[in-house]
Amino acid sequence: MALFADLNIVNTSDTDRKRLQSLIENAAHLGYSTVAINHVAEFQGKKLEIAKPIAVTELYPSPPIVQRITSPHTRSYDIVAVLPKTEKLFHVACMTLDIDLICINVIEKQPFHFRRPSVNGAIERGIYFELAYSPAIKDSTMRRYTISNALSLMQICKGKNIIMSSAAERPLELRGPYDIANLGLLFGLTEGDAKAALSTNCRAALLHGETRKTALGVIYTVKKASATEEKDEGTPLSKRAKTKSD
Amino acid sequence: MVRFKSRYLLCEIVFENPLSRQCIEEKNIYKTVKDAIVRAHGDFGFGCCSLSLAVKYLNAYTGIILLRCRKDFYRVLWSALPFITFLENKNQKYPCFFNTLHVGGTIRTCQKFLIQYNRKQLLLLLKDCKTKGERESVERSVLSCSLKELEGDRS
Repeated sequence: MALFADLNIVNTSDTDRKRLQSLIENAAHLGYSTVAINHVAEFQGKKLEIAKPIAVTELYPSPPIVQRITSPHTRSYDIVAVLPKTEKLFHVACMTLDIDLICINVIEKQPFHFRRPSVNGAIERGIYFELAYSPAIKDSTMRRYTISNALSLMQICKGKNIIMSSAAERPLELRGPYDIANLGLLFGLTEGDAKAALSTNCRAALLHGETRKTALGVIYTVKKASATEEKDEGTPLSKRAKTKSD
Repeated sequence: MVRFKSRYLLCEIVFENPLSRQCIEEKNIYKTVKDAIVRAHGDFGFGCCSLSLAVKYLNAYTGIILLRCRKDFYRVLWSALPFITFLENKNQKYPCFFNTLHVGGTIRTCQKFLIQYNRKQLLLLLKDCKTKGERESVERSVLSCSLKELEGDRS
């Protein structure tokens, strides 16, 4: 059961549906079973994307660079991701913010070092760190920053809770899942960790996103044709989950 | 047993423009792969991969290539492949990327994988067929490749 997922396909403009479609078709051809479309939001602007171009399993993450994510729009997104640029924000994001993914900056030299208590706190809460690989494909200096940032993260987290994804804007920037698992070896992951970074960790991050919508991951409602029906969700990922019925 | 063990990497080259598939040649691919290794792993990478680096098979119609390298250094080669972004032929750049399908120890295992992969692709094509003539020709090719496999297993 090796379901590969690519959790970062950049959606820069609403009008360019065709490009998005070709990206998704390319990802399906390469063997990805799940794809997430990325809405980049800066500070206060957030978009609500309701329409779906193709009916494949699609989910919508958004990496805002905001200081507080208390906007009501985040409820409609499946995954919420943050790209922290300062050490304080990183610490706050790891400990208290209600998010699923923390993106690691690969485009420039990290101005701060990762701290072990923040990273351990994030791992305990079930938050995953995301590494994007398409800048490494485009440019040589980005490649150096990607590798150095990734290695410094690996030293602290020892390869746990890592997701690799493409920040692809064009169909040619995608790579197959086995190639990316190999790139994970370059970043310092072990072979099992690298494969998990594409399959099981992605699935866990998606489930973590789902628990945000439900009552701490215990119950989720599924709308049937006319009436709502309650079902039990048996695998809570958030450590704060409490069983209300038992 | 003194035998040089090698690894064979079966890759598919996916082009942005499907027509440019006819322009790929063994020499171009060899040069591109060497350059990518030098850029990613430097002189060390090039030195250890060039020992028995060769393009063993090339299919211009489907864009499938088979690369050979030493068993000890195939990871160096494999990790340099994602960084290839274009193929150059007569001063024209064709944007593409390499998609690794299979890694095998011998050419025969790669060939078996390729037969199954091609059959899956033909079945996918069958779904997209629009005219009856296309459907029939695709169905015939699917039947023909499965017969060959049976013969190979029997012998």
